[in-house]
Amino acid sequence: MKPAWFDYHAPRNLDEALRILGDAGRDGRVLAGGQSLMPMLNCRLLNPDILVDINRIEALNRLDFAEDSLTVGALVRHADLLHDDRLRNGWPLLFEATKQVAHPAIRNRGTVCGSVAHNDPAAEHPGVLVTLDGTVAIAGAAGRRELRAEQFFTGILSTALQPGEMVVALRYPRPPAGTGAGFVEFARRLGDFAIAGAAAMLTMRDGVCERARLTIVGMGEGPFRARAAEEILTARRLGPRECQDAFAEAAAKITAAVESTDDVHASASYRRHLAGVVAKRALELAHMRAGGN
Amino acid sequence: MAREQPIRLTVNGRVYERTVPVRLSLADFLREHLHLTGTHLGCEHGVCGACTISMNGRSARSCLTLAVQADGANIVTIEGLRAADGTRHPMQQAFLDNFGLQCGYCTPGMLITAIELLRENPNPSEQDVREALSGNICRCTGYQAIIDSVLAVARNETAPPGEIGGSRDRQPARRP
Amino acid sequence: MSDARFVNQRAVGSPVVPDEAVPLVEGDGRFLNDIRLPGMYHVAFLRSQHAHARIRAVDTAKARALPGVITVLTGKDLLGKVEPFRSTPNRFSGGESIQHWLAVDKVRFCGEAICAVVAEDRATAEDAAELIEVDYRPLPVVTDPRLGERESAPLIHESCPNNYLIKREHQRGNVDEAFRKAHLVVKRKFRIGRKQALCLESRGCVAGYRESSFGLTVWISHQLPYVVRHYLASHLRMPENDIRVVVPHTGGGFGQKASIYPEEFVCAYLALTLRRAVKWVEDRLENMVASTHARDQHIEVEVAVDRQGRILALSSDVCVDVGAYSTYLWSAGMEPLQTAGLMPGPYRVPAMRYRTRGVATNKTPVGPYRAVGRPSASASLEMLLDEVARRLELDPVELRQRNLIPLEAMPYRNANNLVHDNVNYLPCLKLSTAKAGYQRLRAEQREASANGKLRGIGVACFAELTGLGTSTAVGPGTLLQPGRDAVTLRLETTGVLSIAAALPSQGQRIMTAMRQVACDELGISLDDITCVINDTAMAPYGFGTFASRTAVFGSGAVIQAAKELRRRMLALGAHLLQVPAAELTIVNSVIQTIDRSKTLPIREMAEKSYFSAKNIPPELNPGFEVTSFYDPKLGSFAGGAHIAVVDVDAQTGEVKIVRYVAAEDVGTIINPAVVEGQIIGGIAQGIGEALLEELVYDETGQPRTITLADYLVPSALEIPRIELHHANTPSAALGGFKGCGEGSIIGALGAVACAVADALSRHGGDIHEFPATPERVLKGLGVLPSEA
Repeated sequence: MKPAWFDYHAPRNLDEALRILGDAGRDGRVLAGGQSLMPMLNCRLLNPDILVDINRIEALNRLDFAEDSLTVGALVRHADLLHDDRLRNGWPLLFEATKQVAHPAIRNRGTVCGSVAHNDPAAEHPGVLVTLDGTVAIAGAAGRRELRAEQFFTGILSTALQPGEMVVALRYPRPPAGTGAGFVEFARRLGDFAIAGAAAMLTMRDGVCERARLTIVGMGEGPFRARAAEEILTARRLGPRECQDAFAEAAAKITAAVESTDDVHASASYRRHLAGVVAKRALELAHMRAGGN
Repeated sequence: MAREQPIRLTVNGRVYERTVPVRLSLADFLREHLHLTGTHLGCEHGVCGACTISMNGRSARSCLTLAVQADGANIVTIEGLRAADGTRHPMQQAFLDNFGLQCGYCTPGMLITAIELLRENPNPSEQDVREALSGNICRCTGYQAIIDSVLAVARNETAPPGEIGGSRDRQPARRP
Repeated sequence: MSDARFVNQRAVGSPVVPDEAVPLVEGDGRFLNDIRLPGMYHVAFLRSQHAHARIRAVDTAKARALPGVITVLTGKDLLGKVEPFRSTPNRFSGGESIQHWLAVDKVRFCGEAICAVVAEDRATAEDAAELIEVDYRPLPVVTDPRLGERESAPLIHESCPNNYLIKREHQRGNVDEAFRKAHLVVKRKFRIGRKQALCLESRGCVAGYRESSFGLTVWISHQLPYVVRHYLASHLRMPENDIRVVVPHTGGGFGQKASIYPEEFVCAYLALTLRRAVKWVEDRLENMVASTHARDQHIEVEVAVDRQGRILALSSDVCVDVGAYSTYLWSAGMEPLQTAGLMPGPYRVPAMRYRTRGVATNKTPVGPYRAVGRPSASASLEMLLDEVARRLELDPVELRQRNLIPLEAMPYRNANNLVHDNVNYLPCLKLSTAKAGYQRLRAEQREASANGKLRGIGVACFAELTGLGTSTAVGPGTLLQPGRDAVTLRLETTGVLSIAAALPSQGQRIMTAMRQVACDELGISLDDITCVINDTAMAPYGFGTFASRTAVFGSGAVIQAAKELRRRMLALGAHLLQVPAAELTIVNSVIQTIDRSKTLPIREMAEKSYFSAKNIPPELNPGFEVTSFYDPKLGSFAGGAHIAVVDVDAQTGEVKIVRYVAAEDVGTIINPAVVEGQIIGGIAQGIGEALLEELVYDETGQPRTITLADYLVPSALEIPRIELHHANTPSAALGGFKGCGEGSIIGALGAVACAVADALSRHGGDIHEFPATPERVLKGLGVLPSEA
């Protein structure tokens, strides 16, 4: 399981990286944490001609906390998020999801942006980014652009990245006051890819849900934003008794609407069923943390 | 484009300068070029954990890291856990005393991961230990003796490391 | 014997920390891939992408032309030069499968080796393998053994009609009458999925040409060095004594490294023809398809019981998917014959009948893996017994108590012709239920039910025949009929003791065990004893490490040889001390009178023996080296009872084991800590079988579980803390030892399978297919629709 040959570049600044990536086009790949890319190279599932290792680009190693948003640069590791109390307190959904990414050694090297750019359907971060209404900062030889999360994820292992482009940062708006969040994932073993996961956020005021966000991962096509479920929860009274019915309704909407695939770990129908289960559990957590009880 | 590149890195306290193929993994570099065969390959796709080493103070899968990426890095492997005078790391001694290994293939990764756990959480519960080690597969022990070894270190129960050369004199192992 | 490490002043029974673990914990192990020889070449195999296909042509030109490539070997290159593996499962009906080391005209499973690329490094060899062009003509594929055994199915081997690699029907006792007279007959079908041992270190070898004084030296990650040597000699047409086989540190074996495979033999051939050392390391992707798989049974089992629930007869129909070839050495007979033949386990079964077959399919061949057919067989019978208990409104433990072979009935010949003796089935059940607080567990289960939680309790009892001597076959009609191994004991010039045997370790601490036994038998200090177990150049003949035999054979042979060595030591000691031998003993490496008035350190005696021989009457100095062959004739039964308590999440189908209690009889224990490790390790693999592990193929014979992200083995979070207890009784073998390597995996699959079935049955559900994945659990509960 030794990879095929590639040309290896480790530029020290972003412009140089973009130039090489631009020249490489479809034959180039960004190497950040390598925790998704290297297994594919070792298995020879992927044989890029050119690897651009961005680990020397200091400018990408930024974790910026602002009044209204968090910026996560391309070299921020999953583990970096777990070690920062400002993140844990300000973006608890992101914290909770990151804790469930793989295992310590993987989290130490793997990057949040890398996970988003790879868009494995069972990964946690794409779902969290959607739920938090995050944006993706993209850079290429032609310039910069920023996409909303939902525009960015286009399908299984696919994103809106064009050849020669890379993700340089993610931006997560700060959740409004009164928001509770929950990330619930079902996997065969802790740290395995999710068979189904739900990232839920509820903003509550006086027992009424002002704003609901719910994204399902693990379904096979990328993060699924459960709009129908969000709609039935928005502006709805979610007292201790009502919320059970409401969440069950939301779960049923998801199971009915979400599309999923068969694979060796789960059938499509089981996945859809699970989607409802994890959604309900995530909503319950979010509700409780929003002070809903 | 050159298929080989020079690197300079520190491994177990010693500085090495080598020229390596760009596609060579850090694991293969340690094993084949530096003859540090204590780090093992069990899957080469990051799941089994047998290849886990410490890179710049954090555990990492050496099978998923290119040697060229380790240029400038500070690496510690199982061979580097010994003190300068040759005495074993308390974690190594605890694994020995508590039968925390059978075939020994997973042991390098277990030790590195366990040492990192105790650095971050000096007083873990059994569940904490199991969770921290859940990315290191063992097929022989059923994990119990490994957990007990780590908890023994956490409780400072491990016997003092033996002398070099006095390799056969041991403290009695714990036993029901 | 005074040694701070010893319990009751004896080495045997003491949890001595093993010296053999020291290099492993310090990173100084020498595993196969750590071995490097000057000028060594590296091999990578091109493997079939098709499950079943004719090979029309193989074009290696581009591969050969790649810089760094030495040669590329094809199946045609080997024709006439080496004998392929012919495996005839045995005297029962079934066909012969012929496996070429490299496929010639046909490939029969995805992953079958077609070419061997030899290059200066492994990465280059893999580059070259990608350049080989193979013209495949796909053939129809067989993936379901029940379809494969039909007349209309495509044939995988021309000599095997119905794709039967083995077929047997057998009956003992009047089964029909028993079923007629029965108060109750219960029949169930079970499906146990395909597994593999998943050693953390996969296979590999280094074949060396003219290393030291041997024409061929093979370092190989393997369990049977002498057997490897034997077959290398016959297949390569080399003198057996010109071959040396060395087993380095081995990262797990579990039976997967007990078969003879083509790849290592190809390497040996290459070393001889290229006259260079050749290395092959099986990577994980290869291992998932190239090393033997296990289990994969369709089991239909029927039991007839009387009013009290006592078994009157057992009838089973077993269909095993044995893959594309009969594995070389153990044959395709192992799994089918053991699954059916050993199903009675520890229960009194007066009459039994079985129909079993191993059907070839276009998948990786099935070979031995820890306990072979017994976990599946036992789990099936245990779940069936739970069904009987439900119907008779008996507690499952009560039902088992009525059926376990009691001590007072022993020796007891069961319907499968195995004689049970010296084993504590009932005491183990009693102990495990007592320690688990079984009645309280059932009460808690009723409460949990009342609160909507699905709790299940499973009790499984097992019998494990260990240390088989020549009178008991490991598998009927296998090429190999082991049962007799030797050990050599030698006093060195400084009086230290060397033990040599051909019983390699994969972590069982065989060296430590034999040293402990020798220490007690001879009175030599443990620290003065070393042991070598892995090298045909150093050890007398032994079959190797498999079938839970090393405790019995290694120790038994040590005891036998030690008897003679001790006699010689005391005879010379008596002469040197001028005291009758009967008044002498040996303690802490000193020959001494009981009152210690006269002493002679063994070191001194040895020096005199070696260097002052002229002063000693020759009959008292015959040499202090003794080789002894030991054959325990029969096997030694180990046994146990495991109890698993599970909670089932009715929404996700997840199963969590909340409590696990095991009581086992493993005979006289040599090293309790090592035994505990073996038992818990087996339980972990059994839990993996019950809940997680499964190799999946699609209908075209493509494997779908090809990485460790697909094939899920338990991590530290999936295994609970095991509460382990013992109700040991000595075996009839020398020293009273029994094997303990395989029993616990039998108990674990049974206990967990029964626990899940128990949880589901209390809620109108059912499960009969394992592993009990969350999806299968939900289907069993009716939460998800099942397939027809």
